[in-house]
Amino acid sequence: MSLFWKVVVYLLLIIGVFIVLTPFLYMLLTSFTQDTFSLPHPDELLKAAKSFDNYIEAWRKNDFQRYFLNSVFVATTTTVFALFFSSMTAYAFARFQFPLKEFLFRLFLFTMMVPGVLNIIPQFTVIKSLGLVDTYSGLLLLYVGVGIAGNTFFLRGFFERIPKELEESVIIDGGGKWTIYRHIYLPLSKPSLATLGIFTFSGAWDEFFIALTILKTEAKRTLPIALQLFQGQHATKWGLVFAASIIAIVPIILIFIIFQKKFVQSTTGEGAVKG
Amino acid sequence: MKKIIRIVLISMLIVCLGIVSFGCSNAKDTTNQDVTNEKTEADKKEETPKDPITIEFWHTYSDTEEVIFNEQVLPLFEEKYPLIKVEATRMPYEGLKQQVIAGVAGDAAPDLMRMDIIWVPEFAKLGALTSLDGKEGFGDVKNQLFPGPLATNFYNGNYYGLPLNTNTKVAIYNKELLKEAGLSEPPKTFDQLIEVSKALKSKGKFGIGIGGTGPWGSLPYFWTFGGRVTDDQFTKASGYLNSPESIAALEKIVELNNEGLIAPTILGGEPGTWDGIKENYLMIDDGPWFYSILGDEALNLTTPAPLPTDDGGSVSVVGGEDLVMFKTSKHPEEAWTFMKFLMTEEPQTIMAQTGLIPTNQKAASSDEVLSVPFIKPYIEQLKTAQPRTPHPNWEKIQESLNLAFEKAVRGEMSAEDALNEAAQEVDGFLE
Amino acid sequence: MTKKYFKQTWDVFPFLILGLIGVAVFVIFPLLKGIYMSFFEYNVLFPKESIFVGLDNYIRAFHDQKFYLSLRNTLLYGVVTVPGQWVFGIFIAILINAKFIKNKVLFRTVYYVPVITSWVVVSFLFKYLFSDGKYGLINFIFYEKLHLLTHPVSWLQNEWTAMIVIWTLGIWKGIGWVMIIYLAALQSIPRHFYEAAAIDGAKARQVFQFITLPLLKPTTIFVIINLIIGSFNVFIQVLLITNGGPLGRTEVLLSYMYKQAFNFFDFGYASAISVTMGIMIFLVTWGQQKTIGKEKIEF
Repeated sequence: MSLFWKVVVYLLLIIGVFIVLTPFLYMLLTSFTQDTFSLPHPDELLKAAKSFDNYIEAWRKNDFQRYFLNSVFVATTTTVFALFFSSMTAYAFARFQFPLKEFLFRLFLFTMMVPGVLNIIPQFTVIKSLGLVDTYSGLLLLYVGVGIAGNTFFLRGFFERIPKELEESVIIDGGGKWTIYRHIYLPLSKPSLATLGIFTFSGAWDEFFIALTILKTEAKRTLPIALQLFQGQHATKWGLVFAASIIAIVPIILIFIIFQKKFVQSTTGEGAVKG
Repeated sequence: MKKIIRIVLISMLIVCLGIVSFGCSNAKDTTNQDVTNEKTEADKKEETPKDPITIEFWHTYSDTEEVIFNEQVLPLFEEKYPLIKVEATRMPYEGLKQQVIAGVAGDAAPDLMRMDIIWVPEFAKLGALTSLDGKEGFGDVKNQLFPGPLATNFYNGNYYGLPLNTNTKVAIYNKELLKEAGLSEPPKTFDQLIEVSKALKSKGKFGIGIGGTGPWGSLPYFWTFGGRVTDDQFTKASGYLNSPESIAALEKIVELNNEGLIAPTILGGEPGTWDGIKENYLMIDDGPWFYSILGDEALNLTTPAPLPTDDGGSVSVVGGEDLVMFKTSKHPEEAWTFMKFLMTEEPQTIMAQTGLIPTNQKAASSDEVLSVPFIKPYIEQLKTAQPRTPHPNWEKIQESLNLAFEKAVRGEMSAEDALNEAAQEVDGFLE
Repeated sequence: MTKKYFKQTWDVFPFLILGLIGVAVFVIFPLLKGIYMSFFEYNVLFPKESIFVGLDNYIRAFHDQKFYLSLRNTLLYGVVTVPGQWVFGIFIAILINAKFIKNKVLFRTVYYVPVITSWVVVSFLFKYLFSDGKYGLINFIFYEKLHLLTHPVSWLQNEWTAMIVIWTLGIWKGIGWVMIIYLAALQSIPRHFYEAAAIDGAKARQVFQFITLPLLKPTTIFVIINLIIGSFNVFIQVLLITNGGPLGRTEVLLSYMYKQAFNFFDFGYASAISVTMGIMIFLVTWGQQKTIGKEKIEF
């Protein structure tokens, strides 16, 4: 490819980066500014004195640190369980014939299409009947359960692209379905699992309504609830909210970078596929 | 064979679902048992007085209010009533109604909650709240409180809550601009304010900052200009909302806006009222939180005063929060004790330091409360302030009013047509 | 045959059962409950006092002007943002995937940041970026600095400019998601395809058209269906940026439904809207759904 095109591609990507980042730059600058009950004018923003006060205040306020750790726990556990259950279900849909398969799959799809906003009340009664109100188990169960349909939909496509012939080597070695699932499907679909992992993690990390409904004790609350508490009934200090939001974004970006390296390395099936 | 398997699997699925729904109905039984268990446990506890009973309380206090509530009011209560422990939980304002609904529907609501006065009738109608008239000592409590805020708890012949704190909005003037306009003190009448606003207009500043076309933002002006929403019993809007006086009042707002005397905030424009009052707006209106949140900065920059008078007098809008008890409360006796306590003079005086105006008459007139630097004009304004229509359908009424006012101010409809349309709609909601 | 069939069913059981239970309990049960509620004037606190009204809630939606307005806005949002997100997303994915791009991880991360930022935060952010007068950043850049606008625009004061703000946010926030899925898909295309194409002397455009795109088809279907579902679920940004205004003209289905349920406590009507929406999306995506299962790619 000629140098000209390379430059064009880089230029396009960099312009895109600017468009994506400008709002965040505005957010970042505001987070360094005090007295931000209304958002400052762009000119003022550059001139105003900068300080880390908002970050310090946010970190100390509303039990932010505790909620932060709670969120780390909830999001991590949700991701692990969701990946495990969804990949099993997706494997079933991708590689087995069973009665009502397509009907069930359509049903899964349909559930994704009806908005879930009103589901919160029946879901809550279920959690309540299981005696899991105000427990992380209840919250995790709900997060994982709600995600399965969509995740299965996502993973099935990837699983179906893995050549069936690869299973033969395992069968010859006398391995069963579990071995195939563990040694063929899981490792070969790392990129898609990593992608799904990020979606699930950031979804759980951001979720507000369900967490607030299920968790009653203040000490158990998660980060999005704390973020909401920074917004007052009558006035909101945006510098503070943005500082808190930035603190909340950082872990996801880190996780994203880590996961991303995983799936960059594992470009699937170079040699394996040919077999 | 295939068919048989299919039937088997379908029936399994049905069984699965059945278990779920059975689980639910079963759960209802167990929760009932829980309640009775807890009751008997509670009885036992009364015999062995060492274990305090915990009641849950939801609120949306701000940072400063929460600190004072937790550090001064709660210890005071627990000192007086060592057998009752209050677990106060601060809820985010976002999605709060959803939380209440899920809580009550799922039998996981707190015992008590501090909620916006305008919510009480609709939750009462829904059957979520306990009526308090029959509670021990209700009459005494009632007599200590201001009748206006108390009335916001009244629905269908019963009281469903007690007013915890009240507020209203007053006019807030930028001191510099007042001087610039040649006034030594806030204008007493709207004519005066309009006069100076015209002079300010040439300097690119606005005289009147109205927060929005919604009822909370615009009703004080509508009322002050002589408008009315319903009759005194809140049963009818036709003949009131679209009376000649009301039409004239809305027309006046529209005209002032067309003349460029009202700040762009009325249609959601920028700068917002809090920003605009710094240099661009002569007057805005807001509640006591304007001062409690901004502190000295606001006191130095602005001066609060009752709204200037016009045809309708000086009429602002009543806000505030009521304390309600949910029907699902596990400890109604203890919860009632706490409710009564919060209505007394001492806790009310303490909370007044944060700008929450007491509903207890004695507390409101105490020196301690009156010495809060910005509070006097608010207490003054409360004497004439009016409530928004206390009705379970308020949310719908609010939407109607907002739409009518917005249409008129945007010039999409004449004030008369807009109000006629709204009056008809509101009539339907009031039935 | 039947024996094998039975064995397969037996084999799949352990893989399937947990997922099925999860979906049945937390998704299908609430869904059925929603359908049930839509036939009642539903009392959410005392379900026993609900009044059966048959199809009244659906008929009401059928005659409800505001329902149609919300439907129109929701569909418009889909028509604008689904292609918007898709085109930009796939374009950026392909650019980043180009062999010579050095800082892949960096670009990916940056483009993905909007996706992981909370809707609430970015909604408020956009509301202020598009403030009117000289206060908003957009007016500041395009009017004061670049002079591309003849006057400062009151973005949120007019129906269509307010929609533009909502659309822009939707696209801006969604591009990264599309990009990441396509990157995963692009990376799972075995390199020997490209090698073969290179040997045959295919041009870059041909490679893209005849190799990359067909291989990406399952991914594309997945992405498009998800974007359509997502577009129907447009909600928080409308609630927080315009709250349906000006004059209720930017209301979308979900914000309308949410108001019915949690402001007016009309759960029956809200459920009817919800179910209607589900059926609509299901039908819109029907043709594509069929291809999902059948799309087999043999490497």
